[in-house]
Amino acid sequence: MVELSVELSWAETTPLSRIYAAGRQGAKEHDAGLTMAEQTGFELVQVMARRGQWSATDQACKEAYGASAPAKPHAVVAQGALLVWSGPDQFLVLSPRGDGLERARLAFAGMASLSEQSDGRSLLRISGARSRDLLAKVCSLDLHPAVFPQWAAAATSIDHTSVNLWRSTDRDGEAVFHLLVFATFAESLWHTLLDSGAEYGVAIDAPGAWQA
Amino acid sequence: MKYSIFSLARAALSGHKNWPRTWRDPEPQKQYDVVIVGGGGHGLATAYHLAHEHGIRNVAVLEKGWIGSGNAGRNTTIIRSNYLLPGNIGFYEMSMKLWETMESDLNYNAMVSQRGVLNLYHSDAQRDAYARRGNAMRINGIDSELLDQAGVRKLAPFLNFDNARFPIQGGLLQPRGGTARHDAVVWGYAHAADKLGVDIIQNCEVTGFTRDANGKVTGVETSRGTIGAGKVGIAVAGNSSRVAAMAGLRLPIESHVLQAFVSEGIKPLIPGVITFGAGHFYVSQSDKGGLVFGGDIDGYNSYAQRGNLPVVEDVCEGGMALMPVIGRVRLLRQWGGIMDMSMDGSPIIDKTPVDGLYLNAGWCYGGFKATPGSGFVFAHLIARDELHREGARFRLDRFQRGAMIDEKGQGAQPNLH
Amino acid sequence: MRIACPFCGPRENGEFSYLGDAKPKRPAPDAGQDAFYDYVYLRDNVAGEMEELWYHGGGCRSWLKVRRNTVTHEIFSVEPVAGAGAQKVAS
Ligand SMILES: Cc1cc2nc3c(=O)[nH]c(=O)nc-3n(C[C@H](O)[C@H](O)[C@H](O)COP(=O)(O)OP(=O)(O)OC[C@H]3O[C@@H](n4cnc5c(N)ncnc54)[C@H](O)[C@@H]3O)c2cc1C
Ligand SMILES: [Zn+2]
Repeated sequence: MVELSVELSWAETTPLSRIYAAGRQGAKEHDAGLTMAEQTGFELVQVMARRGQWSATDQACKEAYGASAPAKPHAVVAQGALLVWSGPDQFLVLSPRGDGLERARLAFAGMASLSEQSDGRSLLRISGARSRDLLAKVCSLDLHPAVFPQWAAAATSIDHTSVNLWRSTDRDGEAVFHLLVFATFAESLWHTLLDSGAEYGVAIDAPGAWQA
Repeated sequence: MKYSIFSLARAALSGHKNWPRTWRDPEPQKQYDVVIVGGGGHGLATAYHLAHEHGIRNVAVLEKGWIGSGNAGRNTTIIRSNYLLPGNIGFYEMSMKLWETMESDLNYNAMVSQRGVLNLYHSDAQRDAYARRGNAMRINGIDSELLDQAGVRKLAPFLNFDNARFPIQGGLLQPRGGTARHDAVVWGYAHAADKLGVDIIQNCEVTGFTRDANGKVTGVETSRGTIGAGKVGIAVAGNSSRVAAMAGLRLPIESHVLQAFVSEGIKPLIPGVITFGAGHFYVSQSDKGGLVFGGDIDGYNSYAQRGNLPVVEDVCEGGMALMPVIGRVRLLRQWGGIMDMSMDGSPIIDKTPVDGLYLNAGWCYGGFKATPGSGFVFAHLIARDELHREGARFRLDRFQRGAMIDEKGQGAQPNLH
Repeated sequence: MRIACPFCGPRENGEFSYLGDAKPKRPAPDAGQDAFYDYVYLRDNVAGEMEELWYHGGGCRSWLKVRRNTVTHEIFSVEPVAGAGAQKVAS
């Protein structure tokens, strides 16, 4: 028998770490028109109400998270979690890494099916004056503040990739968009977004822990 | 009128103002031996072969618009015989051979140009599938060459070989494949059929069938009156279900839209026909210099003869992935045609359950290359009431018998063929 | 062509996948071969208004029944089909 020695590393990584480079990308002759960052350190649970159990799920949600479950495309800031609509009778519970799954399990036992997605998705943040111009190139939704205000959400496709998109609280008077994408599609989407934003100049922040 | 260098010289002397009509514009007669519904390539080729091979000259082709206004004048003009399955392979090769003699047969310049059809492969599995197809072709005496990457580079050095997602590993080449001028094919068959006595009647829409007491078809009702016929052949491509429904038939066919595109003219770039193996994009270059390209069908039932933007985007993305060199070329025109998508992706040339009524349909997005073969086989069926050997598997009842010819192995989902 | 998803709002048709005519219904298992042949292979292939099934795979992943004109691409109605979402919309 030959002894095989395999070097394993359990260092925490992210779907984008292979290609991620903080700093300036694209046009550099003016200030960056937008900022992009990967968001980490979150826990994500998909909640799908079982048939006929939506009102029970909604009620349980109020009790556990202090807010109604989102019944139309928007995101709800709840106690210790963000609830993001993802389809009829279903939503995502996004919370800082911790006891998110356990909390959801206790809240929705018997009425909804849960699936843990924390490592299955990658979360991207786009903010700054030109972020809507970037998104206009790749997203077919109208993101004008009149129709896509703060905490609006949508399940849509960007560059043939399924994305949960929502707008959170403005920063420095500019919109902040969050894109949740399947981890294995994250690199591809990231490239597309960088290409689309290059002309405006992109500042890439170091990956940081997600906050609502 | 016979076209030749002498007729050209003669016409030149009068400033090309005295060319006679290429075909007559006759009034419909009361009765024909055979009426063909549909003046596309297939209908006209059928009429020509009825007259030429079978001596049946009392024939009318009825066309609701102008001849070639359907898919015959809308396609991307690719001809090839690189099929895999029995049934298709022999038929398309017979058709290919007819292309090779068409211009002299019809006395018409159809600009048949055998500049090669190259299907690219991007993975080992795809190479193996192409090797299999190439072998099937060679066993049947059809030219095919499996090229490695260096071989493809020689033909088309401008391709994006090192695309990170879809690197080009090689391609399957059919050197005898190529293109032909689609309108000229229509006009050539019209010219040759007309000369043999066939009446080509345009602006004449078939709106129903007349039947006798036994249900046998005795003629057609049209926007220009009732026209009697010993036999009626349907060759209306995307409208097959509509016309068949006039005789009470339902078909294993859905009508879908396919779009095509042409760019502004550029200097010669594309040597033959090139198809992307990892997305829906294929391209050739016309003699005028325009890039002629297309991709997938839009994917939903349509009779609208126009498509939607997602496919425009998809085709352009495919083009950019394969050959970024065309990125600055401007799109000139874009249009759509209605495909008769069959349930296994292969055509139907058969009698119908209605006596006296014959069907030629189900050509999907690939019936241009079939034009001469289809006309030849359909004429044989109508004239002799027997299947031609090379069309013998294109039966209408093959779905009932489980004898599908499904090149892609997709099953009964027409928008995936 | 835009399809107004009852859950997501109007979306470009590229977000949807197409199944086809909503009319064919799976026959009973003992209905016989002709009935299955009809169900699997034969289509009305309507030129005009038709009810058809679309899937909002690039969005909320709901199956929808769309009444659409195949000659003009005009869309008259979009409703969810069976499932939790449909129940909710009905109530
Ligand atoms: C965009 C596009 C690209 C394509 N590219 C290729 C390709 O590269 N290679 C290839 O091999 N194939 C290709 N095809 C497919 C090919 O064009 C068709 O399969 C073929 O042309 C169909 O046969 P046809 O020429 O007889 O059809 P058509 O030209 O459509 O003829 C049918 C005729 O019937 C007429 N008609 C319909 N209803 C009636 C009625 N009630 N009464 C009288 N007349 C009627 C129509 O007006 C029409 O003129 C393509 C098709 C399209 C649309
Ligand atoms: Zn939806």
